[in-house]
Amino acid sequence: MRFADTLALALRNLRESVLRTVLTALGVSIGVASLVGMVSFGVALQDQVMGSFLRSGVFNSITVSAAQTMPGRGRGRAGGPRLPNFPPPARQAAGDRPKLDDDAVTKFNAIANVVDAYPEVRVPVEIKFGTFSEFSGARGVPMSARDEGVFQDLPHGRFFDNDTDDVCLISMELAGRLSDGAPGDLVGKSLSLGFISAAAAAQALQAGAAPEGGPAGLNIQRAERPFRIGGIVSRPSGPGPGAAMLAAVMIPIAKAREMGGADLANPQALLRQMADRRTYATVTVKVRRPQDTQEVEKQITDMGFSAFSVADLMQNQKKAFILLDLLLGLVGSIALSVASLGIVNTMVMSILERTREIGVMKAIGAGDGDVRRIFLIEAALIGLAGGVFGIALGWAVGRAINAGANFYLARQGAPAANLFLIPWWLVAGGIGFAVAVGLVAGGFPASRAAKLDPIQALRHD
Amino acid sequence: MTGSSDIAVEALDLAKHYTMGQSIVRALDGVSLRVAPREFVGLLGTSGSGKSTLLNLIGGLDRPTGGVLTVFGQDLARMTREELSLHRRRNVGMIFQAFNLIPTMTALENVALAMMFAGVTRRERNTRARDLLAQVGLGERLAHRPKELSGGEQQRVSIARALANNPSILLADEPTGNLDSRTARDILGLLRALNTGDGRTVILVTHDAALAAACVDRSVTLLDGRIVTEATA
Repeated sequence: MRFADTLALALRNLRESVLRTVLTALGVSIGVASLVGMVSFGVALQDQVMGSFLRSGVFNSITVSAAQTMPGRGRGRAGGPRLPNFPPPARQAAGDRPKLDDDAVTKFNAIANVVDAYPEVRVPVEIKFGTFSEFSGARGVPMSARDEGVFQDLPHGRFFDNDTDDVCLISMELAGRLSDGAPGDLVGKSLSLGFISAAAAAQALQAGAAPEGGPAGLNIQRAERPFRIGGIVSRPSGPGPGAAMLAAVMIPIAKAREMGGADLANPQALLRQMADRRTYATVTVKVRRPQDTQEVEKQITDMGFSAFSVADLMQNQKKAFILLDLLLGLVGSIALSVASLGIVNTMVMSILERTREIGVMKAIGAGDGDVRRIFLIEAALIGLAGGVFGIALGWAVGRAINAGANFYLARQGAPAANLFLIPWWLVAGGIGFAVAVGLVAGGFPASRAAKLDPIQALRHD
Repeated sequence: MTGSSDIAVEALDLAKHYTMGQSIVRALDGVSLRVAPREFVGLLGTSGSGKSTLLNLIGGLDRPTGGVLTVFGQDLARMTREELSLHRRRNVGMIFQAFNLIPTMTALENVALAMMFAGVTRRERNTRARDLLAQVGLGERLAHRPKELSGGEQQRVSIARALANNPSILLADEPTGNLDSRTARDILGLLRALNTGDGRTVILVTHDAALAAACVDRSVTLLDGRIVTEATA
């Protein structure tokens, strides 16, 4: 028997009892809708919590610091939080401890799946704008931060076009103090950054002067450079890792290194900078995908550095969300399992009504398989109709609840949130699952129909 | 048609026993019968004599509990369920007293349904069903449902359906039982024409000896599951 004919017979059976078919399919669609609703709620919740982290780029970044081999330090890190993947204290003696310098940064960049590696550079500066003057730190920002965290979407202006122009980004707080209510007008204007060149500061130290008193009392070389304000960066709305690179003034990292990231509060570092080569407190390594962090971290720790990533901490959170999705799916599938009993009931009724017809079909040559397939397809079609309608229903109900919830959130002054997300895999999965439920529910009645004795069936009224 | 063998149906000591409650019912109890190809045989007897049981066994709707039953040399008792359904589809065409048409289908659809199970294409099915209905005199009533047809017309549809897959044997179980005598004669005339014209073997079950005498080559009378008389017309 051809599949198209089997399908046609099944459709004909369904058409003959439209009301029963529609009611059964409606039961399935309520089941699918509740399942889809629950899972999409879980997906949206996960997106709300994890999505902001993922988009901030914090999952793809590893923070590298020089290996901690302080003398006298015990193995246990009493008191402090136990962070995973911190290597045990390196075996190396202080002499051959690898330095976190430009060579190391180059090596990190060469590791597979590393997108970018850049040191943390802060330049102490005096910000001058008209009569305004304030001491602060200018943060070096790499070009690769363009698509991450707070730099993704600037309220005014735009990210650096290149790392050679004297352009800076300023924080919304600073912009607020520089302007009178119209921070956007600052874009395009220039401010000047006063700084101390590293060489000058180191010379001052070598002369025996203590830097703790600040540069005010020292006769040191000062430099000043005008920077055009390219854009304004606002703090992320929630507590997030996007703020990591936020500072009052942000300049391209190449500029910051040129100006010398000398930290006057750390004379040791200043001296080191002078004595041999410049080293950094931390280097940030960006990897291609969050999955790559572990492998890259391992390679870095093998070089003798300490490495740490947030992805490690989020593993448990991910597991929790998978469990939550499972739980929600389980609750949602209760309705679907009830609906599957509805399919069984409908099919048993349908077969009872058609017993004589089944007998006739067998008498004129239908095989057991033909009969089984007709009823299996009938049940699967009920599942399919229920699945398609259920997805639509779930979507509509989700939209409605979302609208209601956002109305409430708006009245509470909270930002709007998307509480229901129906990704394509949930659509396909929901429909596929409904069809599968139909096939399973139809299996028993269909095989009963297939096994009917033709003579008994023909005698049936 | 698998007409190479010179025996269409052969039963040897055929038995069909079943239990009903405590007692054993011997519906057929040692029947031996040989039907030649192109023969028109009438199975006569009162109700409960076993004639319908014998017909159902030959039609592959039921299985014997003893003896041998071959149709064109194939042993029906040894067939699997699937092989039996193939036998019903290809070798025999069944005609019932109650017509057994599917009430929601038109005459054309009822005839075409039998070919659906044989995997015939839709176009071919419809063409052949139309021809068969014309052959039984219902060329104008293709789109009518069984309810809209008279008893005689319904039986004609059921004969057309029995011919759908071109079987060599037609099995008719009291085909005239629900018809008036004039219509009954027409139906038997049609069966006779299919026998002499197309050369199909026909086995007719009836309790009406007079009616049978008008068309059969040979009549076999059963009583309590055994053959009591055989008479050639």
